[in-house]
Amino acid sequence: MNQVWIAGAGMTRFGRRDETLPDLMAEAALSALADAMIEQPDGLVVAAMNPEEFTGAGNYGSLINTHLGLSHVPALRVETATSSGVAAVYTAFAAIASGLHKTVLVVGGEKMSHMATPRVSEIIGRSIDPHERSYGTTMPALAGLITRAAMHRRGLTLREISQVAVKNHANGARNHLAHFQEAVTLEAVMESRLVADPLRLFHCCPISDGAAAIVMTAEPAEVRIAGIGQGTDTIAMRYRSDLTAFVATQTAAQAAYRMAGFGPERVEVAEIHDAFAPFEIISLEDTGLIPPGKAGRATLEGETALDGRLPINTSGGLKARGHPLAGTGIAQIVELCWQLRGMAAGRQVQAQVALAHSIGGLATNNWVTLLEARR
Amino acid sequence: MNVHTLPASRCPRCHRLVVPPARLCPDHPVTMEAATVPNIGEVVSFTTLHSPPEGFKAPLHIALVELDGGARLFCHGEETKGIRIGSSVGVESLDRVFYFSHMGFADRARLFWRRAGARGEKVASITKSVVQGIWRGRSSGDS
Repeated sequence: MNQVWIAGAGMTRFGRRDETLPDLMAEAALSALADAMIEQPDGLVVAAMNPEEFTGAGNYGSLINTHLGLSHVPALRVETATSSGVAAVYTAFAAIASGLHKTVLVVGGEKMSHMATPRVSEIIGRSIDPHERSYGTTMPALAGLITRAAMHRRGLTLREISQVAVKNHANGARNHLAHFQEAVTLEAVMESRLVADPLRLFHCCPISDGAAAIVMTAEPAEVRIAGIGQGTDTIAMRYRSDLTAFVATQTAAQAAYRMAGFGPERVEVAEIHDAFAPFEIISLEDTGLIPPGKAGRATLEGETALDGRLPINTSGGLKARGHPLAGTGIAQIVELCWQLRGMAAGRQVQAQVALAHSIGGLATNNWVTLLEARR
Repeated sequence: MNVHTLPASRCPRCHRLVVPPARLCPDHPVTMEAATVPNIGEVVSFTTLHSPPEGFKAPLHIALVELDGGARLFCHGEETKGIRIGSSVGVESLDRVFYFSHMGFADRARLFWRRAGARGEKVASITKSVVQGIWRGRSSGDS
């Protein structure tokens, strides 16, 4: 298996954007290609979760390759719900590792803020099991069930959960590409309106537009993909025996560590899928970065803050950087490339090894990616 | 409330029970057998959704219930007051929708209309106009 490197990274500002999705994807892709100093890749993988519903256009592989002036470059679209971006990275990884391609451009994004929130919520909710969706369950509803179960069974407190949002907003305030660039107080988070009891508004990520891209190559570059792993679980929540841990993350992490040949002890910075604040705490334990039952307290004590032992979501995470669905998994990797290359101005941490964790659907199709700086 | 059974499916290989019935086991590509489960169990977790999707009214109470025997199912409820994780509840199926807690007929009817949303309002307005028609007919007959 060939080694796979990341030669270039780029992303748009996340938030409410007036540009079309193809324009956002082009902005991110051109920035990643320029960073890699490559004009033409030999493959293109596009990630978009619900572009038909949000933008009215389909055939996104061809739409984007033509929009980028790369109509002759073989293009695919890949989808695993909210983790689609990493599914695209995995597709490119497989193509390069196997020797099918030498250089692949991966771009993902979503454009949805032009629609009313209930409509966006309904479209994203189509990634939920249809029977369960017929009960009015949305992502926040399922996350509410998980949060209550985690508080009951794992002793997670509302304060610990709320501190995740406070920390990630503080990081987002240092990221000029973040959707939210303002700090919030613990009181503001804990007093924000109820969305799905016990989850409150400030525990939930926003609806963001944006795109992110990386250029992956067989030629050694500054950052290597040391491991990448996928894990799955039933789409129906009622088929799962435990709501308070994500089997899909545990499986993905084991696969990534096995490929990398090292474990969580070498990870010095991570981007974790905090679509809902308690997911960061659950996922820190599922990935083995923090021992079971300790992540809530670690968060409250500042261990995962920018100046802590293990900085988590230096970009601001989904909570503050924003969550344009299929753009998110790639944006996590972009942030970590910048951290490993010393380019994360205003929020730089010291790290050689980084971990990205992405949740697809309600933890039905998750990914863990391990990145290592070239020594 | 009545204690009875609900239709379910059982995997002949791992004996997993699922509700409502499904053709294949989620863990094995094996055809499941018809089974039944009691309509009583425990609350695994619950939430009240304050911004429900189109077609539902807030506040929307949703619970995940584990029935005796192990199958889990989603239910609606009239309220979550007094409900805790681990609370024993009964589950009733009304118009192929599951509802938790001990409910009388009036409660079930109210839940049915709430869930029906726009469709319920349409039926209610038709009923109202029919009743008004009959009333008007009777009035004109009298005069």
